[in-house]
This record gives sequence, structure tokens and C-alpha cells, in this order.
Amino acid sequence: MIGYAARRLLAAVPTLLLVAIAVFLLMRLVPGDPAQLMLGDAASLEDVQSLRLSMGLEAALPVQFLRWAGAVLVGDFGKSITNGEAVLPLIVSRFGVTALIVLLAVGLAALLAVPLGMFAAWMQDRPADLAVVGFATLMLSIPSFWLGLILLLVFGVWLRWLPVVGYVTFSEDPLLAITYIVLPVATLVLVEVGVLTRMARASTIDVLNLDYISHARAKGLSEFTVLRRHAFPNAFAPTLTLIGLVLGNLLGGIAVIETVFTLPGLGRLLVDAIFQRDYPVVQGVMLFVAAIYVGVNLLVDLAYPLFDPRVTVE
Amino acid sequence: MKLRRLAIGLAALLLASPLATPLAAQETLLRARLNADIRSTDPGANRDANTDSVVLHILEGLVAFRENTAVGPLLAESVVISEDGLAYTFTLRDGVRFHNGATLTSADVKFAWDRYLRRETNWRCLPEFDGRGATKINAIETPDARTVVFRIERPTALFLTNMARADCGGSGIFHRDSLNADGSWRSPVGTGPFRLGEWRRNQFIDLTRFADYAALPGTPDGFTGNKTPLVDRVRWVIIPDSAAAKAALVSGAIDINPDLNSQDIEELRARPDMRLSSTATMGTMALLFQTRDPLLQDVRIRRAIALALDYPELVRALSDGLSTYNPAVIPIASAAHGAVQREGFTRNIAEARRLLAQAGYRGQPIRMITTQRYDSLMQMAVITQAMAQEAGINIQFEVIDWATQLDRYTRGDYAMMAFTYSARLDPSLSFDMMTGPKATEPRKVWDNPEAQALLRESMRVTDPARRQAIFDDLHRRFIADVPMIVLYNDANVAAHRASVQGYRAWASGQPRFWGVRVQ
Repeated sequence: MIGYAARRLLAAVPTLLLVAIAVFLLMRLVPGDPAQLMLGDAASLEDVQSLRLSMGLEAALPVQFLRWAGAVLVGDFGKSITNGEAVLPLIVSRFGVTALIVLLAVGLAALLAVPLGMFAAWMQDRPADLAVVGFATLMLSIPSFWLGLILLLVFGVWLRWLPVVGYVTFSEDPLLAITYIVLPVATLVLVEVGVLTRMARASTIDVLNLDYISHARAKGLSEFTVLRRHAFPNAFAPTLTLIGLVLGNLLGGIAVIETVFTLPGLGRLLVDAIFQRDYPVVQGVMLFVAAIYVGVNLLVDLAYPLFDPRVTVE
Repeated sequence: MKLRRLAIGLAALLLASPLATPLAAQETLLRARLNADIRSTDPGANRDANTDSVVLHILEGLVAFRENTAVGPLLAESVVISEDGLAYTFTLRDGVRFHNGATLTSADVKFAWDRYLRRETNWRCLPEFDGRGATKINAIETPDARTVVFRIERPTALFLTNMARADCGGSGIFHRDSLNADGSWRSPVGTGPFRLGEWRRNQFIDLTRFADYAALPGTPDGFTGNKTPLVDRVRWVIIPDSAAAKAALVSGAIDINPDLNSQDIEELRARPDMRLSSTATMGTMALLFQTRDPLLQDVRIRRAIALALDYPELVRALSDGLSTYNPAVIPIASAAHGAVQREGFTRNIAEARRLLAQAGYRGQPIRMITTQRYDSLMQMAVITQAMAQEAGINIQFEVIDWATQLDRYTRGDYAMMAFTYSARLDPSLSFDMMTGPKATEPRKVWDNPEAQALLRESMRVTDPARRQAIFDDLHRRFIADVPMIVLYNDANVAAHRASVQGYRAWASGQPRFWGVRVQ
């Protein structure tokens, strides 16, 4: 397993290099200039060029790229053009906020969605199944920002049970920290539970139609045992893949949720940096997100054998 | 039993929530919304409008803008200008202290200004003081501890105005403790009513009351006057989303939103626990023309577009009824805005069609750039397109992001553009933002050598009557040339909870939290 993981990590190096080159070039191709944004509507071309020079943006693109890539290799992601903060610590601190929300939300969503999907599959075409499918479709269809704002309105403004804006870390005050993350986590759970429920239901239906399930039932096993011992391990694999993709996607930033709930997370950092044309931050975040994708998918692949006995990691 | 435990746990959570905090706290706290984090605390260097707003609560300059946009003394007790206009003598107020307890002296003023005048500081306003713009500072002398003399190369009417500009950080005087040993910026130690507390990036900025603040007598007046802090702490809470900001205000999580979204005005006005404060700002909303564009280089086509628009209706729609049509580059709130500046365009479709026919226009597309970053710019493009269509003008718009639009504005790379100019608090600066030679300054909209000569004169002369005559002349020429169509000055509407007292919006559009009380 260690050899497999090492090979996968080595194979990720060219991927990350391609991501670095693509992000670097794309950001330079997009019109707009960080110096211009900093100086505003009163700046002359001369002022803009002078500031670009001081930012190191006047050098040839290959030189800029090699400077940046060389520094990244020794762990220096550079400094934000906007506020001078070191990029790597900035990413790490923002990722902490995003990761906390996402891991909690995806974990809770999976705990809800898998049993719900399996239950719906077991009750296929009956009213309970229709109710679950309806709920899942509704959750899939609601945009996260709208759901977030509704929860904010109900629990923050009308009932005043939970704070509306801000963020407190667990190290500062654990109880208070919980109150600040309840709404974003709930929003994300409701959004993700839809897609995971549908996947769990579809894969369970496939498995329940296989011969070995009929055989298990013919042996006289209870329906619960059939579902838990025989259906679940095979039906869960596709859902696990989806969880991996969802995790990779969300860990790269939940910009909308972070904006609605004013969370200082990775998504907001990336969106703000794009608008500000803060090249070092955009490049650093994108490289980090690519690494997260690679890491999460590797972990998912390594976790397969734990659930599906047919799979081995070689 | 389990239910009871759960109820106790929930109660503990609720008690621990921030709703409970203000009740328990002894200090007075004012929580205000900021729509984005500040860029730095370095005055006038790495900045934007939010940065200026925060910095101007911490640092103060020798002079500052009054409510009526005239310049008045702040750290200076008096300013004496020599007869030839080449020496400005500032006498400092007695007993002004920095946040670190040190007394303000002329040496501190010189220290701060020497840093501003160094190129590596990247001070935004350096060109206005190093000879590239309004004038050049030849020397800063400190004959005694309370006197500073600025000697300049050529006279200018804008010397004090440029000193007071918010985007220049108000040329705030900082103590040398504000810098690191290598001369780089560390943290502001100023003389303002608040000192910098905790700045948690992308979350909040805390300012704490400066107990030894030396306030001027009287009432608050723009960025000068009596700036006594009446709350112990101001927390600027960063809330990018306007819907979340409204929820925060209504729920009591913040006390004030200094820049309300226009769609929320009516709803909040109807609430008994809310108060609104609104004013016309000096920011200008306009439609720019590229006078080098093959089509728009013909003044008849530009005039036809101007005559195709229904201004009262357009402005009402764009500003939700909060602003009125202002055809002038000089904002309505300026003392220099008078009867002449009200002379503009009135819709006349027949005349527009006649001009178009005369110019040989046959429906060729005119491309207009706009952005969704600002609702009013997007709406401006949509409504202008519809109104112009009635006169047979074919405007097609292109929606791009703000960074790209700013880039194309600077390079003059457009035919038409829906644009917003930030506030300029002097009429010369208002004209300067759009008047100049396109060959060297492509962002300038109006390339008219006679107008440029008049503008330069307005920056030189100090006689108010002569300056007003120049501005009137400039306005008439501007309307005749139609290099852009000015529509209105943006309104600033602030909403605050009824418990907040003493807050007033004003023409600069920037919030001021001195003189504000929370009950």
C-alpha cells in the first residue's frame, strides 16, 4: 500500500506542475492589473508602470514564473500583492476554517445520506421512496446562497438563536465557536445531502437487483442483515467516490457559503484575490487546491478496500 | 434525562452566543459594516477607499476637509500663505499628543513628510508635491517646535487641498514609532481620536478610544472640527455580502451600515428600530465617450446620444429617487456648483435624429462597456441602450469585470463606457480627472487644449471669483464638446440602529465615528 501511495504521489508531480503553469498563464492572460486596481481611476500609465516595476511584474513572463516556481519548491509561496502577507501561512490559516466546515458538513451529510438512500432503495417506488427522492431533488435544486440566507433569516434574524456574522476559533472559545459554524455547516449538509442520497439510492438499487442478494434473502437472513452485511459494502463504493470528489471540490473553497456567513475561508480568499489580481495568492491557492484534490482522491482510493472486499490496492 | 441535558446544553450555547455579550460588557462598542478588508494601514500608499476610512480615524494631517468641502486646519492652529504663494507656514496646535504619549512637534511633521516625499514610499499623492503635478516642495523648515514652513516651487490653489485628500491618507502625521527599524511601515501611531487595536484579517478591525485625544472645540465638521470619540471601541466588521449585512443590522449584530444597498432603503426606513442618514456624495456617475473612436469622434453623434436620454427618468431609476440630474463635472455638493452648472441636456428625439442624419449615421453599432460589479453601472448601460434606441442609435454593451474595465479605462480602450469616478473635493480636481492630452494620458476623456489651459489656470489662481469664472467657462465648453455625459452624483445612505446617535453621512461618502454615541 505504501508503494502504491508513493507511486500515486509521484504521478501527481507533473499534474501539479501543469496546474502551476496553467494558473500562472491564465492569470496573466486575464485583462486587469493589480497595480491599476491599487492606484484606482486617478492613476496615469506612468504611475501604473512604476508600481508594476516595484511589484516585479515588468520582468518577462518566463522569468516571473521561474522565480515563483523556484521559491515554491523551497516552500516560499511569496507575499500577497494586496496586503504584503506571506501567502503560505495565509492559505493554511484560511484552509483551517474551510476544512473544519467542510469535513463536518460532508461527514454529517454522508451519515444522513447513505442510510436515507439505502432506505429509499429498499422502499423503491413506494411513498417513502418518493418522499426521499423528492427531498433529495429539492435539496439539489436549491442554490446554496439562497438556502444560507434563509437559514440566516430564520435562525439569526427572526429567532435570534444564532449569530449572523463573524467567526470565532475553537481555541478562543469552543462554545461560542460552535454557534458560529452551526448555520454554514447546516447549509452545506442540506445542499450535499441531496446529491449523496441520490447516489446511495441508485447504487443500492443496482446491488439489490443482483443474484447474491436474492440468495442471501433465500437463506432467510433478515432484511436489515441483507442490507447492512451484503448490500452496503458494494453499494457504498460509488458513494465513496462521490464523497471524495465532493470533498476535493469543497475543500478548494466554499466561496458562496463563506461570503454569506462572512467566514474567513479559502474560497473567499481566492475570489477576493482574483478580483484584486493578486497573482501570488491566486497561484498559491490554486496549487494548494490541486494538491488537496490529489490527496483526497488518493485517500479515497486507499479507503476502498476497507468497504469493498473485491478491491485491493496493489 | 437526556432531553434535560440537551436543553441545558442549548441554553449554555445561547448564553455563550454574542447576543449575550453586549449585555454583559461594560465598554461602549460601536459595530460598523465594512464591505471588504482594508489593504494596509500605511496612509495613502497601499490603499483603497476602505483603507482611507479606517486610517483617517487614526491619523490626522495638518489640514482637513470641512463639511462644505473647503479646507480647514486640523493639527495646525493656523496656516499663513506668503504673498507670492510660495511659502506655507503652519503653526501647530499646543498639547496634541500621539497615541504613544509623545507630544506633536514640527520635527514629527517633517519626519512624516520626508517619508511621504520618498519615491519608495509609493505615496499616491507624491506627483502633486514633487513637481510632476500641482507643484514641488523645495524645502520643509522647522524654525521652532510649533512651526513648520513648506517652501514650494510654484504657486498653486491646490496645495492645501491635495494635503487634505482622503486618498492621500489626509497626509496624516505619524510618530516615528510607526516605522520599523528599516524604515518600512509597521503600525500607525497617530494623533487621531482612535488608536489601532486588533486587526484580524478579513474578519474585523478594532479601533480603541484615545483617551488623551486633543479635540478641537465646536462640532464635528467634515474630517476636522470636534472629533471627540464617544465610544470606547469601534469594530469594523467585514461583511462582503449586502444581504448578510442587512441581516446583521436587523438582528443587532452590527449597529451601523454606512453604505446601504439602495434596494434595502425602503424596507429599513419602515422599521421603527432603524434610522437612515443620506446625502449626495462627490462621486460622479457618467457615460464616457472615446472621442478618437471612428464614429464617436463626430461631436454630432455624441450630442445625439446626449439628446436621446430622458435624464430625470434615468437618474430616478438608477438612484432609486435619491439623486437628481447633474450635468456638470463639478458635484452638486460643491460650493462651486451654481446656475451655470445646471445647464445640461434635455431630451429631444427629433433633434437627435436630425444630428444623426447630418452625421451620416446609419445604425452602426456603438459598443459600450459596463460591469456587474456595481448595479448602477449595469443598469445605466441597460437603460441608456433602450432610450438611445428610440432615436435610432444602436448601442451594444459588453459586460466585463471591474479590474478589466479599469484597465481599459486607463488605456482609453473603449468606444463608450458606463463609469463611476470617485469623489474629488475640489472643482479643479474634478475637471482634472477627465481633462488632458490623450497622447500621454489615454485615460483622460476630454482632450481640448483650451480647456487644459483653463484648467491649469484654475490650479494656479487663488482668487475664488476668478476660479468660479474659469469653472463656468469650462462647463459651457464641456457641454458643447460632449466628451462624456455626466448623470448624477451618487447618494450615500447609511442605516443605523436607533441606539446610535450623532452619526451623519456626508459628501465625501466616508463614515466618521467620532462624535457618535451608542446607548
